[in-house]
Amino acid sequence: MRPNVFQFVLLAFSLAIPCAAQESPFVVTYTHHMEEPGNLELETSSTVGIPRSGQTFYAAPYMELEYGVTTQWTSELYLESSSVWGDSTVFTGWRFENRYKPLRREHWINPVLYLEYESVNEASRIQKEIEGGGPDLISSNRELRGEHAHELETKLILSSDFHDWNISENFIATKNLSESEGVEFGYAFGVSRPLARLASGSNCRFCSENFIAGIEMYGGLGSTLDGFTPRGTAHYIAPVVSWAVFDNATLRLSTGFGLTDQSNPVLLRVGYSYELAGFGSRISRLFGAKR
Amino acid sequence: MKALCTAMLIFVSSLSAAGQNPSYQQDQQWIAPAAASGKPNPLTNKPETAAGGRKLFLRNCAECHGPNGAGMEKKHSADLQLPVVQQQSDGALFWKITNGNASKGMPSFSRLPELQRWQLILFLRTLKATGPAAADPAK
Repeated sequence: MRPNVFQFVLLAFSLAIPCAAQESPFVVTYTHHMEEPGNLELETSSTVGIPRSGQTFYAAPYMELEYGVTTQWTSELYLESSSVWGDSTVFTGWRFENRYKPLRREHWINPVLYLEYESVNEASRIQKEIEGGGPDLISSNRELRGEHAHELETKLILSSDFHDWNISENFIATKNLSESEGVEFGYAFGVSRPLARLASGSNCRFCSENFIAGIEMYGGLGSTLDGFTPRGTAHYIAPVVSWAVFDNATLRLSTGFGLTDQSNPVLLRVGYSYELAGFGSRISRLFGAKR
Repeated sequence: MKALCTAMLIFVSSLSAAGQNPSYQQDQQWIAPAAASGKPNPLTNKPETAAGGRKLFLRNCAECHGPNGAGMEKKHSADLQLPVVQQQSDGALFWKITNGNASKGMPSFSRLPELQRWQLILFLRTLKATGPAAADPAK
């Protein structure tokens, strides 16, 4: 049997070095902290919507592959699905995002430019961001999966580290290239802080230095067709926490509380990420690069 | 299967090639502003916190600088034991850890709490030269 590219990649995975992964606790809000160059982060997450009357219970698992191209550029690929209670489980599409940090040093406010291409159908419920009026939480997967969308999403990420606090704001604009929906808008805002300022000398797992807590708020801001307004759209406020379970793995938990009738009353999110250092250089060496 | 074995051999060789970096040259463009260089380390009177600094170093820095801070040639990373690094003020090192050096691939570690970055510096001061670079500080 001849080894193929897939086996090479598996080998690179197995030999890459796990490294530090104390991640931001935010699920929706992006900060200016980029993936370290050459590192690959694998994350598996799920968004679970607790329904209000007329809505359906769903779980939307997704996988992220995040790669640090340079210190200023991070790329990410998403594969997502949706499982609706009493209906079906469907693959809802993929997304490819790029984040670029134009300033090389830390500033009072650090901007990051975000561009994402989405090839998803309307059954998508991962809600990594909410734009326009939010997702359709009433129709069945069968009805929604036929409506395929090619979307271009942009974000302006502004983020500040003030002493030990991180304060981040994201402004979102999305254009559906498949239909005339105008440009849809959204926002996300988050504040977080590590629970401990000093690191202890011991390798404890449950001590406070391994936890970061915060709160984030996100929602839709209408569209150019319906008007730029927060009314009639989904909005959530969510306490969040991340726990560095191991040096190379982080668990994120978030409980979002819906603030409008268009939101789920509760949106539970859980994510587990695993970081591999030096993945890029090992892959390049596999294909003959000298360094 | 033969190719797979060869690939594994290449991997192992590449890992073992990660030696010290005695040829490290300081980036002359990467200089901390005077105001930042003058900042004192608030943990100077708490040397016991260097143990936490060691843990942070192994988690965040050892991947590129090696577990003893001697740098890695293949990563072009600084040998932190060299006088050219050790002679810098605590404030200058804090500024460099905080901002990183994007043009040389050193990421910013501003995500770490401030005191943890000072802990790292406490630990950096304990690094002792062990390799050939130590014998010739002029390098």
